[in-house]
This record gives sequence, C-alpha cells and structure tokens, in this order.
Amino acid sequence: MKFVVENISKSSGRLGHLVQAETGKRFRTPLLVQTTKAGSIPYLSREVFDYITKETPALQFSLSTINHMTESLKLFNGTIGAYVGYPECLSLLLVRDTCTTTPSGHNDKDIMPLFTRRGKEMLTATSYMDAVEVLKPDIYQGLCDADTNLDSSKKRITKSVDRTAQFMDLCYERHQNSTVLNNSGLFVPIVGGYSTFARSDSIKHAKAKGESITSGYIFEGFHNNGLSATEVDVEQLLKVMTHSLNELNVEKPKMMPGAYTPPAMLELISLGVDIFDTSYAYCAATNFKALTFNFDLTKTESGNCSPFLDITTDSLKEDFTPLLADCDCLTCKKHTRAYLYHLYNTKEMAGPILIMIHNLHHMMKFFNTICNCIADDKLPDLVKLVNYQGHDAALDYSIKLNTKAISRNDQGKSFTVAKDDQ
Amino acid sequence: MTTKVPPLTYKVIAECSVTKARAGLMTLRHGEVNTPVFMPVGTQGTLKGLLPDQLIELNCQILLGNTYHLGMRPGIETLQKAGGLHKFMSWPRGILTDSGGFQMVSLLKLAQIDENGVNFCSPFDNSECMLTPEHSIQIQNTIGADIMMQLDDVVKTTTVGPRVEEAMHRTIRWLDRCINAHARDEDQSLFPIVQGALDPELRKICADALIQRKVRGYAVGGLSGGESKHEFWRTVHVCTDLLPKDKPRYLMGVGFAADLVVCVALGIDMFDCVFPTRTARFGCALVNTGQMNLKNKKYENDMRPIDDECECSTCSRYTRSYLHHIAAMEAVSCSLLSIHNVAYQLRLMRSMREAIQRDQFPQFICDFMAKHFEGEPVPLWIREALQAVNVDLPPDDVKVKEAVA
Repeated sequence: MKFVVENISKSSGRLGHLVQAETGKRFRTPLLVQTTKAGSIPYLSREVFDYITKETPALQFSLSTINHMTESLKLFNGTIGAYVGYPECLSLLLVRDTCTTTPSGHNDKDIMPLFTRRGKEMLTATSYMDAVEVLKPDIYQGLCDADTNLDSSKKRITKSVDRTAQFMDLCYERHQNSTVLNNSGLFVPIVGGYSTFARSDSIKHAKAKGESITSGYIFEGFHNNGLSATEVDVEQLLKVMTHSLNELNVEKPKMMPGAYTPPAMLELISLGVDIFDTSYAYCAATNFKALTFNFDLTKTESGNCSPFLDITTDSLKEDFTPLLADCDCLTCKKHTRAYLYHLYNTKEMAGPILIMIHNLHHMMKFFNTICNCIADDKLPDLVKLVNYQGHDAALDYSIKLNTKAISRNDQGKSFTVAKDDQ
Repeated sequence: MTTKVPPLTYKVIAECSVTKARAGLMTLRHGEVNTPVFMPVGTQGTLKGLLPDQLIELNCQILLGNTYHLGMRPGIETLQKAGGLHKFMSWPRGILTDSGGFQMVSLLKLAQIDENGVNFCSPFDNSECMLTPEHSIQIQNTIGADIMMQLDDVVKTTTVGPRVEEAMHRTIRWLDRCINAHARDEDQSLFPIVQGALDPELRKICADALIQRKVRGYAVGGLSGGESKHEFWRTVHVCTDLLPKDKPRYLMGVGFAADLVVCVALGIDMFDCVFPTRTARFGCALVNTGQMNLKNKKYENDMRPIDDECECSTCSRYTRSYLHHIAAMEAVSCSLLSIHNVAYQLRLMRSMREAIQRDQFPQFICDFMAKHFEGEPVPLWIREALQAVNVDLPPDDVKVKEAVA
C-alpha cells in the first residue's frame, strides 16, 4: 500500500491517493470507505451496491463482526474481498465495529475485549496478528486500547496509551517478521482521549519504531462507536487533532473511523485527515433517517431545517415526492416518501435497503464534492454551507436512537437491523 | 387507449403430446407473461428483501399482492392517491391480487362467514368489519392489479358434509356479486375460483357454473389446506379436465418444486407460494435435490456456490461458506437467499416451458424426479398423478442400481 499526496490546498485540505500494492489501483483521498457488518455493506448485496456506483469500493472490515469467519478464510483461495463478493476492492481491517456502540471496560492485562456475535472474546496482540495474517487485508490497524471518550479519567487515558504501546510492540515485531503481510500496510493507532499530552505520548511511541513500518495513522479513542461518534464535541476534537497532526509526518495518510457527522468530517479534512467511513450513513439509515443536507455550492438558499428526513414521520404517509428532489439515486428516481413510510410501517426489509442506497449515494456525492472543492480551493465555503444550510445557526447533525424504528425482535431472531446495541 | 384489446389475452403456444401440460403466452396491460408461471409473493407491496429492479433482472413477469394486507396498510385511500399499487411500489409488470378472504379466515380466528360476506375483528382497533364480495372488488379495483380474485367462501379442505356444498354454491353466488361490482373491466380481469373441497361432483357443479360466466381465466382453490397428496392431485386433475383449454388456470398457494412439475403436467398454468422467500429468511436455499440449510455446520468451509448451474447474482459471487456465516443472522442474507430462491423457481418454470415447446416434457419430468429424489423412492402420489397423464417414471430400484453402477 502506497500513499501519494497530490495537492495541498492553499486554504485547507489536501488531495491524494492510496495505491493498492498488488494491482496498482488508485483510490482518491479524501476517501470514503464502505463500512461493513459480517463482511457485507449493511443491508446491501453486491448486486444492490452496484446500483449505487460502478466504482471499485474500499471496504472496511471489523474483526468483531468477521472473527467467526477467519477459520473458513484460511481455507478460502482468495482475498477477504473476494470471499464477501468484492474481489477487486481495497480492504481495510479494523478491530471494532464502528456501526454499533462498543461496550466499555474488560481491559484486562494483555487482553483486548472483542465483542462479537458469540459474546465477548479475548483478543491478545498475538491472536490479533494471527487473524491479520489470515485475512491479509490491504491495510490493517495496529491493535490499541481505544476505550476512552470525553468523560474518561486521566488514569484511563494513560492506561489506554500504555496498553496500546504494549500491543504495538508486538504488532511491529509480527509485521516485520511476517512472510505474508508484505503487501499489507500497517496503520499505527494514535490514542489518548481528549488529552493533548496523552496524544503526544502516543505519537512519540508511534514514531519511535521508525516511519518505514508505518503506512499511515489511525486516530482512535474519541468515541465509543455507534451513535456516540455523531455526538462528539467537535471543538474539543479539533483542538486535539490540530495538536496531533502537527506532530505527525505530512506524507502519511490519516484515518478516523466512526460515524463522525458530515460537518465534523469537513473540519477534519480541512486539518488534513484523509480517510473516513460510511458509518454515519449507516447510523442514519438504521434509525430511518434519509440524508438530505445540501452540499451544492450553487444552491445556497436556506431550506433545510434538518440535515435528514425522518421516515417515521406520519405526515409522509401520502407524500408522493422523492426523499430528496433532484437526487439521482435509485431510491429517489423510483420511489416516494410515502412508499418508504409504508415499508417502515410494515417493517419490511426493503425500507432499510432503500434508505441505505440513498444515504450511501448521498455521502459518496458529498465526498466527490469535497475533492472538487479542495481542488478549487473552496473547502471553507463548503464547511460553512454544510454547517449552516443557509440558516443563522449551525444545524444539529447528531443522530438519536429512533425508538419507533424496527427493533431486533420484529425482524426475527437475530437480525441486526435497527437498534444500536446499547 | 387500445380499449378494444381485452386486459388479458391468453394463447396456447405448445401442448405436450403426452400430458395435459401446455405452454402459453398471457398478455396483460403490464406486459407479457410466459406460462406456466410461478408468481413470487409480495404481500405488502414488496417482495421481502428484494427490489423491483432485481426482480426485473430475474425476468420475473408477475407477482402477487395480498388484498387484506394492502387494505390495512397503506390503506385504500393512500393507494388511490398513489394511482394504484403498480405506481405505489414502482413495479411496471404484472400483478395479481387475492380476494382477502383467505387471510381473514386463516389469520383471524374470529372471522365469521354468512351470506353477506366475511365478518371479522380488525386486528388494529378491534372494530367489527365486514368484507363483502363488493368490498373486496372495490379494494382490488383500487389496487389495480392485472388479475383479481373473486371473494370465495373458503372451508378447510378436509371439511365434509353440507358445509362444503353450501360454500361451493355461495362461491358461485358471490362470483356474480363480484362481477357486478367490478368497475374496471377494461384494465383488470376477474378470476373465479373453483371450490368444492375434495368432492369431484361438487367441483364439477362449480366449474360448470363458472364456465357460464364471462371471465378470462380460472383459479383452482381450496387446496394445500391439509388434505393428503393423493386427494390433492386427484382434485387438480378433475378441475383441469373441467376447465376450458383456451384460458389460463391458476392453482392457488402451490410452490414446492415437485408439486409444480406434477401440476404443470396436470394442466395448471399459474402458481404462487410464499415458501421460496420465507425459507430464505430461515437460511435455506432451494436446489434440485430439495432444500439446502446453509446454517448447517457442514457448509462452513464449503467454497462452492449454492448451485454450480445457477446464474443468479448470489451464485455468481458468494460461496456456501460465506452464506453459512451470515445465514439468518445478517439482514443481507435474506436478500441473497431470496434472490437465489426466486431465481430457482423461475428457472424451473422456464425449463418446463422449454421442454413443453420441444415436446420433451415427459423426459423432463423423469429427469427432474430422478434428480429431486436422488435415489430415494419417488412418492406414490407422484407416480400415480403422472400415470394419470400417461407418464411412467422408471421404477425406483432401477434408479438405485444405476446410481450404484
């Protein structure tokens, strides 16, 4: 895996691309990676994903949702991407599922708790690297203790930095000596909650091993995944990130996993973060929110009072307009709000499928616009538009649990459809 | 508008020279339907887990909607404002709706039937409602399906005695009320339903009466309700003998592969069943040998597709192993298996149509049964049903010997 910075914009943001080692295929940054659950983009088969885009996706796998497949993958003659229906994708491996809340605690000595559908499993740096060697992703993150958020105590933050350093010592060793990870890039975790001192410590350790082993950096420990990422204090976050990015090599790609809101993503991109994932689109879809925020700089008149449309609103029952006027996704071209409301009301599976199509399409177009704005040096304008949507005050992009949305029980035994796990 | 062309025309394209099977072309306001056809069930205006585009990709030409469910949600007013179900769900091809009566009797324990209609308690607000033949047709006219079903008086197949005869006669009376109430004969075709439980005499009286009415196709009802397979096939056989050859015949609620093959041989043209999509949600895939339960541990490391010969989007991309790991756990597994199962049903029907057109249907039946039962004895009812239409399956022991050799 290689990363090339192409263009650093005068005012803010930068353009670049990741290069897949084996194929030479390029993935433009800022990059939106498709988050997956158990290897699949939530609700979408490959056939349906192809209705959204013909572009080769980058897929983000979380060990906590695919760990039960690793034994089978040992026997599979092909990549993890091929196993889940995307043979040509760029694969990124994370530890935690960004879509659902990661429970806190259980951080025993040398052990990282992995919350899988089989329950809590004990992950050590060794067992993690064993799994990485089976999965052979294009990019994988180093193991870390990311169990921190804005409320974490100083002690917990220090522990997370220390434990991460311990985990990483072994990860570095295994990565260097591995005979199968030559084409896999290691993204070194930077942790430390919202403490700039702790972040500096984490960065110091990350740099100590030398830059050659590091393909990029991944920033963890700002939230506990799931909806919590949509609620982070952006001001605090930016303070810590500004500080951290100043201490790191510009040449390396930076990744921030989780459901950061579109305004937060834009601010982070302005600072120089390169890679995000689609968890926000998922968190919205699973709570029956269709993304409708405007990012078209040619249409700046105020209109949106909310960045999304709540499909469970009764007034949509006979609203025969598309989710979003002028949207050219399959859902908006073929279906109406009334139909989506009906699918919600009858708890039909096509509901989340169609909202997910729209939300992913919206986010992908959003990222295209971001790239264009960086090239045209207009990112600050976009930040303003997305934040304010033509109003005087910034809009609230956080996503709350929609209790009206279909629950797990309604969908049959163990379908993970609507609820955030907590 | 080409108002002169009826909303349903049917043409027999080929007839099997041995059995009663026929291949036909049914033309509706929303496109052509090649028969024999299997209609997947999209109960509430969607086929569970699949999008209309995927169904078109599979070349599905007609699907079934349930009047009872659609009448409850989204409701008739909404469907009216939407301009009918085709527009509401964005499905440009054929739709057939049932009368709603069957759901009432099967879902609602308290449903009571009298001459006026079906009396039931609304499951939503417990208010007392009455579904009359007129009301059923009014709802179906609003839904706007290409083919509508009359409201019939459904009795359990295994019922005996005067209630069966009463239901049969009432079904005929209700048909006349349905025909009178039908307000969109330019766009929609109303199918009557042959009733009479397992009594050939009653079936004959019913069929004779229905044939007097001006309709464009017929349904065989009251089966698949707990009767033995021997009684089942004999009743189908009786009905297809009674019904005119120049109109399509629809056997309600039948969709297991072996049943489809037998009933096509007996002269049925249209089928529907929830089974392929329902079983998908439980992690089961349909294959020639029956069902494959992908949750079974033995598929954990099986890197083959569900079926080598299947061309569906699931078989072209996913292994049994991966499907095993997500079956009945991840919502996407329901989509993946439903696609395969609907593709399987449609492919089976296509193979039958092609065999009939080549006049090689008897051979097709023998090959199918050999594969389907794989050395197991073919059930007696299948042998007898096929003998009734002049097809002798090879004896089981011969087949077992061949398999050993």
